[in-house]
Amino acid sequence: MKIKLNNSEVEAAEGKSLLDICRENGINVPTLCYHASMTPEARCRVCLVEMDGKLVTSCSTRPREGAKITTNSERVMKARRLNMELMVPEPTCRREDDYEVCQTYKEVGMGNARFLQIKDYKPDLGAAVIRDNNKCINCGRCVKVCADIQGVYAIDFASRAHNEHVTPYWENNLADVACIRCGQCILNCPVGAISERSHVEEVVAALDDKDRHVVVQIAPSIRAALGELFGMPAGTLVTGKTVAALRRCGFAKVFDVDLGADMTIMEEASELLRRVENNGTLPMITTCCPGWILMMEFFYHGLIANMSTCKSPHEMLGMLVKTYYAKKAGINPKKITVVSIMPCTAKKFESTRPELESGVDYVLTTRELGRLIKMRKIDFAALPDEEFDPALGISTGAGVIFGATGGVMEAALRTAHFLATGKELEKIEVDEVRGMAGVKEGSIVLNGKEIRFACAHGGANARKLMEQKGKYHFIEIMACPGGCIGGGGQPIYRDPEVLRKRTEALYSADRASKLRRSHENPVVKQIYKEMLGAPLSDEAERLLHTHYVKRDRF
Amino acid sequence: MQILRQTNLEALEKARALGPEGVIALLGKRGLEGRGGAAYPTAKKWKACRDTPSDERFVVCNADEGEPGTFKDKLIIRHNAETLVEGILVAAYAVGAKRCFIYLRGEYDYLRPRLQEQIDDVLARAKMEGVTIEIVRGAGAYICGEATALLQSIMGFRGNAMAKPPNPTTQGLWGKPTVINNVETLACAAQAVLFDDWDPTLRLFSISGNVKNPGVYEFPLGVKMSTIIDVARPEKKLKAMSFGCFGGIMPVDENMLVTPETICMEKCQHGAYSIIFIDETNNVVDVAYSIAKFYTYESCGKCTPCREGTIRMLNLLKKVRTGKAVRKDLELLRELATHVQDTALCGLGQTCGNHILTSLEHFPKDYEAYMKK
Repeated sequence: MKIKLNNSEVEAAEGKSLLDICRENGINVPTLCYHASMTPEARCRVCLVEMDGKLVTSCSTRPREGAKITTNSERVMKARRLNMELMVPEPTCRREDDYEVCQTYKEVGMGNARFLQIKDYKPDLGAAVIRDNNKCINCGRCVKVCADIQGVYAIDFASRAHNEHVTPYWENNLADVACIRCGQCILNCPVGAISERSHVEEVVAALDDKDRHVVVQIAPSIRAALGELFGMPAGTLVTGKTVAALRRCGFAKVFDVDLGADMTIMEEASELLRRVENNGTLPMITTCCPGWILMMEFFYHGLIANMSTCKSPHEMLGMLVKTYYAKKAGINPKKITVVSIMPCTAKKFESTRPELESGVDYVLTTRELGRLIKMRKIDFAALPDEEFDPALGISTGAGVIFGATGGVMEAALRTAHFLATGKELEKIEVDEVRGMAGVKEGSIVLNGKEIRFACAHGGANARKLMEQKGKYHFIEIMACPGGCIGGGGQPIYRDPEVLRKRTEALYSADRASKLRRSHENPVVKQIYKEMLGAPLSDEAERLLHTHYVKRDRF
Repeated sequence: MQILRQTNLEALEKARALGPEGVIALLGKRGLEGRGGAAYPTAKKWKACRDTPSDERFVVCNADEGEPGTFKDKLIIRHNAETLVEGILVAAYAVGAKRCFIYLRGEYDYLRPRLQEQIDDVLARAKMEGVTIEIVRGAGAYICGEATALLQSIMGFRGNAMAKPPNPTTQGLWGKPTVINNVETLACAAQAVLFDDWDPTLRLFSISGNVKNPGVYEFPLGVKMSTIIDVARPEKKLKAMSFGCFGGIMPVDENMLVTPETICMEKCQHGAYSIIFIDETNNVVDVAYSIAKFYTYESCGKCTPCREGTIRMLNLLKKVRTGKAVRKDLELLRELATHVQDTALCGLGQTCGNHILTSLEHFPKDYEAYMKK
């Protein structure tokens, strides 16, 4: 099909939106409410173009044969500008995160501020996710991601006309509704009206306190994403620089949550084998993801018995810092502050759960860490590569891949096979659980018994998998699309391809590791030898396991 | 009045004799057009729905008559509901639908018990297997009179207008092909099928405002405005007339012939032929202000220009009325009204600047009267 695009004839595939056609032909059309992974709602009216003399939204319009499209007439430009002006009457672009709206403003051209801000909402200051409706431009992406991709339905629009606003049901605060704190709404907010509850100030205060021994631990997926905040391409591994930056921020010790992941695998794989052998409750479901734990407690609390009792990796490691490490280094645990750098806003909630005695004092997201590094005026790109502190810093490739969907499953299978049979898996990669398919499944034979496993990532996929959970012995769920690498605390991305690149970075780190199985980790072996005895011992149960509660939705 | 002619299930009988395709062809021949405002040929709409492959189709009667100054559907529901119900059944037969809905305006809830009785009665006599008609009560939102918002509301979602395509005719309720017709259209459909002398030019006019005889009247298209004014009997000299709310405010021209063309040429929507007469004791800015207030309250809030534009226009009119406005404000008002018209998502937004543009154009003196104060 041929159409006329800004006076030149172009070939366009039938059924494609004007926006896609423009972008394919190198014409940039600004957008705000549009997101590549969601169906267009045509709310913001910024992507306007002229088709046959009429202004239409390019995201939702498919041209007819021979249509005449103009993308840069004065009429188009003026209409885009006025819509921006109406949405954001008084632009306050706080540049640090480079909000999408700032980019759109550059593309549209800022008009004169002719309107006064009339919104007057009370900010919703939750413990993990905070919202400020005064900044909101009603693009609806948070509502859509919460409903369609996460399947949580915690927020929606209320009221009409200029009073329309996004709110948790019944005008509650987010903290009081069935919100799983995954933070996907933050990733999708183009104006920063939703953000994580920042703990940077508290961490800085602890760092400045001479009496405190401040220890930091970083999650696997941080190393594959932090570089993006400093202008590096997606998928750049910055493990060494991150460690160096953290030391320069003033942290006394830099530990690796991958070690916590290895501990988790030892406990979880043992738990799985115990359940299979003793006819325990199956399928067993992983509990590394605090977003998923909340989802289960709100919507699937019938499954509490199916949940592994293992704490998540950083909670395990936090506990080990305050017990094992404190004892070895001769430091009073009460003087130790543990800070976790996580790709996740739900972890902020997790560390306050009364159900688990948390060793972690503060959780910072990847974005907050970027802010801290910039606050301390550290030139990230120029940093040398440094190593983790060895006390709790040796890890395996199995721990690294925790950051990607299917990673926990793959790591657990590597170790479960060894624990059950005494032999290693023939092929170390478990391809069935890799990739971006929403629900993945496979099976493995342990001692003549078939173990069927499945993974899902993104809340809506988790719901799909829960429909057919009976078929499996072992299930991994990650609340965020892509797993932790796509977590709500990660650098904001627009292109879904970014997730694939971050994932690939983690798998390449696994391939480069000398040790690729959790049970080979020398520190893990040492911890069991010196303190815990064996996986699932009484001491391990006391320190590394937890329980869950039923939560009321209303 | 033609609209009050009863069809007594004979239209349905005739439809069955003609077959679905025959009914659609007949309506096309009779020239029935949608009476909700857009004047889309009914036969074309039904055919598109019928021709979309699906295991299920729906017929929806839009009885969410929310346009200020329009009250013709109420008349039909009160005085000729049997024919309306029969029209729905004819539509269901023609497109092959089983489940039908009447989306009844929230404020018309008092009509519901009687309407329900009449539905039950007609359904019992019509003997159409498996066909049901449910009354869905609106909750008072004007926007739910817009087809896509209405469907959202029936499905239990927030009444928001949706981007088209897809059109409801091919993807409506629960993604299935759905015919949505106005009350008057469906009643007319039954009559048009049955009566060979059915006149397609007769329209219902809702007359209100500064007149002694407000009410619903039937006139043929092309009627002279003076004829309408004679019937309505204004008390004082008329200054302006407003075609519904979204039609804009026009000076009264007694010689004007009311046809879709003459009205559209004056940049107005013919809509559902509702005329609010305004006499010389009123300032048109006040009329525009109260219409703007209506839109500022009734916009669904989905798209930017309508959500943010309506309140800004209202604030500017407020400024005019308090004598604080300067010429630049009127320019901004005109810019906003044109902009909202140009870029809004649905019919509400695309017309909610009409009253401002037309009043600015035809009654500049009324604005100046305020600005001089």
